[in-house]
Amino acid sequence: MGIAALLVLLAIAPLLALAPAAPGAVRVSGVSLLWWYAALIAPLIATALAIALLVRVPE
Amino acid sequence: MSALAAVAAWLQPALVTALAFRVAAGTPDAPWLGLAALVAPLVALLAGARPPGRNPVTAIVAAVTVSLVLAADLLVAADAATLLGAARWQGAVLVALATLAIAMWAPSRRLSPSAVAMAAVVLLLGSGAVALAAGAPWTAWHRSGVRPALTFPAQSSWVLGGQRFARATTLRFAEGQRVVTLAAGVYRVVERDAATPIVREWRLAAGDALTLRPGDELSVEAGAHVRFEAGRRVPGAPASGVAWADASARGPRMLPLALGAVVTMLGGALALVPTPRRGRAAAAGPLVLLAATSAALAWGVYAAGVPDLVLGGALPAPLLRLPTAALGAPAGVPLALLTGVALLVLLVAAAVALRERLAAAASEAPELWVAVVVAATAVAVWPLDPWRVLTLALGLAAAAWAPARIATSSAGALAGPIVGGVAFVAVAALPAVAPGAPSWLEALTGYPALVALPLGWLAARAMPPDGQRVAAGG
Repeated sequence: MGIAALLVLLAIAPLLALAPAAPGAVRVSGVSLLWWYAALIAPLIATALAIALLVRVPE
Repeated sequence: MSALAAVAAWLQPALVTALAFRVAAGTPDAPWLGLAALVAPLVALLAGARPPGRNPVTAIVAAVTVSLVLAADLLVAADAATLLGAARWQGAVLVALATLAIAMWAPSRRLSPSAVAMAAVVLLLGSGAVALAAGAPWTAWHRSGVRPALTFPAQSSWVLGGQRFARATTLRFAEGQRVVTLAAGVYRVVERDAATPIVREWRLAAGDALTLRPGDELSVEAGAHVRFEAGRRVPGAPASGVAWADASARGPRMLPLALGAVVTMLGGALALVPTPRRGRAAAAGPLVLLAATSAALAWGVYAAGVPDLVLGGALPAPLLRLPTAALGAPAGVPLALLTGVALLVLLVAAAVALRERLAAAASEAPELWVAVVVAATAVAVWPLDPWRVLTLALGLAAAAWAPARIATSSAGALAGPIVGGVAFVAVAALPAVAPGAPSWLEALTGYPALVALPLGWLAARAMPPDGQRVAAGG
């Protein structure tokens, strides 16, 4: 489940960039949505998710 | 194995510098490559335990993969030597000797995880130091994205004393430019202002000048030393800040290339990054990955503000040249030295981790490690593109090493690497065998793992598990 979530997070970046009408090019506070997502939002979520799953010791 | 030790094999200087370089250059794939560089090893950390799949084929694939990964790192060292004005081979050989010795030093296995963490933190703090002068990364990104044109600043080293090209390249000029050669060499100019392009080859001495017109192309050899005019557009750079930010080449046609890059990184990580021990200490692995990839992206964004930094093609230029350009020599030189040391530490720690992977897949013999480092050094002496060499290494690992690690039988661990490896080599060799291949094959030849990985994995999984075969045989 965790791996699937990480793969979805990863897949969204090229989709934002390559989808018709380029939704990733929309500027939010001067920076494109694609860069907010690929450089800040997705990395933070992915890291938090991985940490949450790795610190749990299987019983 | 701790999570820090597990990610050490992933955080190669070639990966970190290539990310920063590609962001600075405005390559269309930079955003998802940056994200994939983080997510791929996270997936590998979370994936279930994978046996080494030890057999003669995997041993050969592991040795070739590790040689190529090390070669990519040594190519970065060679690029750094070019930036310092030394010969390429001096950088590659010096760093190779250090790598060889430290990876064979017994305590290095214990020290390398903390060294990786420190190097990642230094790279992140280094970008923080640049932020003191250039503002937050998003401010720098916005500033770079609104420039009307990317031109040579008056204080650029390409304008004042000239610079060397790390590898052979072709420059396309959007406006007229007078280029002064500072070293003798052959310079090829393609003039495109006539109906039929005219090719002129000039053998020039130091001090000679070439006058290029808009549309001309200039091909230079690796090591060519030239000087440009201030205020003119940087040849090969995006046309404007908007073109840098939104890369006009991005579009649905790039989807196969994006898929190829992501598959290559995921498969490469599954081969190189083992499953770590779980528990509180495991949090360090993802945090160090986040720090290193964020640092690489931040360095790239800041370097984009100095568009001629990436002109010479030297991958470490954004990390080694930017400090002086952004902070001036008094603060910039020490910072550049610090980032250089951090990259060297990353390389040595990665080499220690790679030697462990090699020992698990092939042999612990010191002779094998020496052979791998010698092979990597031999590759690194040539002015190849480190990013291309790294993606080839990761692609080979994805196609022919990872299948052995997900196989459920010894037959699968043999069949997967053979099928994946043969498919990988066949697709990778296509441009050499059939130079006129159609452009839609670009994604496959650029990232052969896109085809080879599924084939290798299918072959590995198609074989019945060992237990079933014994039962069937019994």
